[in-house]
Amino acid sequence: MSPAAGPPEGAASRAARLLRWYPRAWRDRYGAEFTELLIADIAERPRSRARTLDVARGGIVARLADAGLAGGPVVPARAGTASARASLSALACCGAVFLVVGAALWSQLTIGWQWSDSAGTPAALATTVTSAAMIALLALAMTAALPVLLAIAANFTRQLIIPAAVLLTATTLLFAGGRHFGNGWPGTGGHRGLVPGGLAAFEWATSLSVSAYWAHPGALAAFPAAEVAWMAASPLLLAVTVLAAATLVRRAELPPRLLAFEARAGLAACAVMAVFLVGCGCWVATGGQRSLFHAGVIDVAGVAVMALALALARQAARTAGAVSFPRDADCS
Amino acid sequence: MPKGNRSDPGESKGLTGFGRYAGPATLILSSLADGAKHGYALTKDVESFSGVRLSPGTLYEALARLESQGLIEALDTDDRRRPYQLTAAGAGALKAHLDAQRRVAEVGLRRLAGNWGTA
Repeated sequence: MSPAAGPPEGAASRAARLLRWYPRAWRDRYGAEFTELLIADIAERPRSRARTLDVARGGIVARLADAGLAGGPVVPARAGTASARASLSALACCGAVFLVVGAALWSQLTIGWQWSDSAGTPAALATTVTSAAMIALLALAMTAALPVLLAIAANFTRQLIIPAAVLLTATTLLFAGGRHFGNGWPGTGGHRGLVPGGLAAFEWATSLSVSAYWAHPGALAAFPAAEVAWMAASPLLLAVTVLAAATLVRRAELPPRLLAFEARAGLAACAVMAVFLVGCGCWVATGGQRSLFHAGVIDVAGVAVMALALALARQAARTAGAVSFPRDADCS
Repeated sequence: MPKGNRSDPGESKGLTGFGRYAGPATLILSSLADGAKHGYALTKDVESFSGVRLSPGTLYEALARLESQGLIEALDTDDRRRPYQLTAAGAGALKAHLDAQRRVAEVGLRRLAGNWGTA
């Protein structure tokens, strides 16, 4: 039933180019037949901007679904638990970005709190709100991670060995580096502790890379070489840690009830992140007070990044929560 | 006779949950109601009975969702053009959806006739 005239020259290569809009899993499942349809369509309509836009839109939707950020599985084989795991992986990545950038802003506030009498100021309100939200976020993250780790340990397979080893190594290095460089925390010796110093120092050290000093190489050069190296290496370690964790969640066999729990925990975390963001937003909007609480361009950028991460995390949590599982769903 | 048997056609809730994909899904299911078709044949058939030309991206977006929901299924073939057929669940969903559409159409036509003299 294809056009009798046959496809025009170059139709196959144009169809192949259009197919690249779609993720690999989709191409593996539908690529051959979709290419045939595109070639037939090109034969009928050699030039069509509407077709290009339609394919691009469909490809982006498929990529969002593949990333767990849109409803529906990217291919039927990924319906159910696999689709929910993809969404939870995306949620973990967005949550991690939010945590790192949030920790950088929060560190600035807690250091200012250590040294300054700020009672009654927007900075004091922001510090109190963000401190409570940060502790709630960390507690939620551990509550969500623990049952997943237990489920993975109970059902450990060969395909989990590499991501588990990478996660363990990167976490160990991150923890050791955070503890070591936390010794340089500027809040030490301050007189107004709001949160445990060890926690604040660790968060400060692990988020040192989120810094305006990158824009001032001269000032950065005055830092100890080891600290600059840590500023460069820690975001890579964080990225490796998060990607390894996300890979574990994608590959692990997790029961539907646990996935549903994780989706609810994700939505709760989004609510706490929103509170944290409001606290930071209030502080940045007022421009901060005094030198210790001064809010700069990097803080405005940080709030924007956190807002984007929160929006994506909420979308992922809602997508994970909307996944329906067959009654006899297995964990494949 | 289609081989799909995922649910009783009489129990279907139609295409609720398809949102903005309900339109293409209805056209595709209606086309498959008289037999299995591959992508290009589906496009031409839908265009012939509805005047709507489904673009390739829209068509396969809807096909993937319908297949995930078990309303259609792909047939084995050596050809690169894979045909799809309706399942029993798909037939039930289409019937429920069209019944609901018919009720809406009947109400609209009745009110038009009563107030505008056209039907």
